[in-house]
Amino acid sequence: MELSKPWQFVRDSFAVFVTSLFMFPMFWWALTSLKPISAIFDKDKVVWFDFTPTLINYAVTLLGRSRSQLAIDEGLGMGVAGTEAYDSRSSMLDSIVVSIGATTITMLVAILAAYALSRMQFRGRDAFLNWVLGQRFMPPIAIIFPLVITFKLAGLRDTDNYYLGWLSLMLIYSLMNLPIAVLLLKSFFDDVPKDVDEAAMIDGATRFQSFSKIVLPMVRGGIAAAAVLCFVFSWTEFLLSLFLTTDIRTVPVKIQTFVTSTGNEWGFITALGTAAVIPGFIFILLVQRHLVRGLTLGSLKE
Amino acid sequence: MASVNIKNIFKKYGDVEVVHGINLTIDDGSFVVFLGPSGCGKSTLLRMIAGLESVTAGDVEIAGKRVNNVHPKDRNIAMVFQNYALYAHMTVKDNMSFSLHLAKRPKAEIEEKVGWAAKILNLEPYLARYPRELSGGQRQRVAMGRAIVRDPAVFLFDEPLSNLDAKLRVQMRTEIKDLHERLKTTTVYVTHDQIEAMTMADKIVILRDGIIEQVGTPLDVYDHPVNLFVASFIGSPSMNLIKGVVAKDHVLTEGGVKLPLPKTHGGKIGQKVVYGIRPEHMSLGKGIPATISVTEPTGPEIHVYADVGPQEVCAIIRDRLVLKRGSTVELAPDLSKVHLFDEATGKVIA
Repeated sequence: MELSKPWQFVRDSFAVFVTSLFMFPMFWWALTSLKPISAIFDKDKVVWFDFTPTLINYAVTLLGRSRSQLAIDEGLGMGVAGTEAYDSRSSMLDSIVVSIGATTITMLVAILAAYALSRMQFRGRDAFLNWVLGQRFMPPIAIIFPLVITFKLAGLRDTDNYYLGWLSLMLIYSLMNLPIAVLLLKSFFDDVPKDVDEAAMIDGATRFQSFSKIVLPMVRGGIAAAAVLCFVFSWTEFLLSLFLTTDIRTVPVKIQTFVTSTGNEWGFITALGTAAVIPGFIFILLVQRHLVRGLTLGSLKE
Repeated sequence: MASVNIKNIFKKYGDVEVVHGINLTIDDGSFVVFLGPSGCGKSTLLRMIAGLESVTAGDVEIAGKRVNNVHPKDRNIAMVFQNYALYAHMTVKDNMSFSLHLAKRPKAEIEEKVGWAAKILNLEPYLARYPRELSGGQRQRVAMGRAIVRDPAVFLFDEPLSNLDAKLRVQMRTEIKDLHERLKTTTVYVTHDQIEAMTMADKIVILRDGIIEQVGTPLDVYDHPVNLFVASFIGSPSMNLIKGVVAKDHVLTEGGVKLPLPKTHGGKIGQKVVYGIRPEHMSLGKGIPATISVTEPTGPEIHVYADVGPQEVCAIIRDRLVLKRGSTVELAPDLSKVHLFDEATGKVIA
């Protein structure tokens, strides 16, 4: 239906308004990260744009500049935490490694599981599916103590070995992500008609060949979507990371440490928060070209 | 090329038996059509030949070799699916060459085979396109191309034309027939469309509820249906079937109308029968009194629907007559073309 000119204007204005509403917190976050301390903590007025932009917050969190030196330079007498406490470079690395690792493990297992659930007959298949979904209904906090003890007994604590901390987070995130990834991928596999498998089989393909050469490329979009979900979950997860690791601090856990006994370091919180958006953004850019509809289009009659 | 033998085949899904012991021989190089209403087991039978369904009991033999437990890829068959089942992420060329790549044939051979198939099927301009960029008829041809490049022993077609529009269907029908004449590959073709079956088949296998009703050449099953089901299923408009009792030289209907019989017929006096006559074997003349209800001119001929007692019959005439609704005429059946079926068994009375 074609709207009349005034209504088009109303519609467009409303769209802009809603979008701005959603974008504002992100914008404010990024803006704050560029403010000097004096602009962030101005007790008389809200500072919008009348400040001298600075990258000092980024320098401290991402380049390891000293917080205390900064305080001295600014001539502030505030209490100052340890010099290294705000250096978040290792946290970024931890988050990237853990998120990519967890996503990879999840996808490897989920693709195979979803294919089996979609294409193969085995005893208890439907019950298994419900059980898989059931896993996701449990709040992680409910099982956090058993989990910590289990991981400790399994020797997966990062206090024993730093790299085992990576592994333990990858494992627990995969566990959390698997149900949703399996279900999502299964529905994509279900959308690929069985006739296509059969055609491939008659064309001389083995089960694995028809999976890898025919069905898998046709669910590319689903794999990309599931991978994005897994990555975002792993990237933003806080609770499990907080409990299961000590030396390793993923970005959400790290940011939380900026809330200190001597005040909230808004400059660093916003700087790291803004910076943390970027890897996720890059990841989504990389996979989004696969996020297209209708990959099975043309396979069947319409 | 190969013959296909089906020996006493049964198929069960759980407790439900859908194919009840079918025996059939498909000769090398012949074009056999499985025809029947939906749910008659024709597709199941085809899929058992292909190896896509397991066989509950009985044997499938291709080229004299029992293939019950042979994987579809090792049966040397090619199949065209009802919905084409193309590989959407591959170009037309890749779709057609997929099987040859899997078989690790040399590149030159693949190029040659695909080129040959594309030429036969008029797909040369579309080799670089994706299935989504093709029309229904072109996709259909890609599905066929995928089958013919392999040079298989047997072609299997599962209602390949049912998704095309009427005009394209006629065209593709001719193309498939032509392809068979050229390649002479044994072909099994499943359809519920009797016109397709009649026009394409060397031999028609008529199935109902998992059993074979009749096997024969198209004209054979049309001219000599062995039972009421085949008589009513083949032919459009379908054969007129009127219940009655055999008298000396006629069949007396429940409405008291006398239907003339030829001098020699297999019916016994007093036997309950069904009198069958095809519409084109009735003409205007002396015989059965009828009241005109509807006339449908189709162009070459006129379909005349008339009431004989309480029963409606159809006659096909070629004369340009104007017949008014309600007027009475007499319909003369061609006595040599009368079929008599036993009412109880439904079988033809020889």
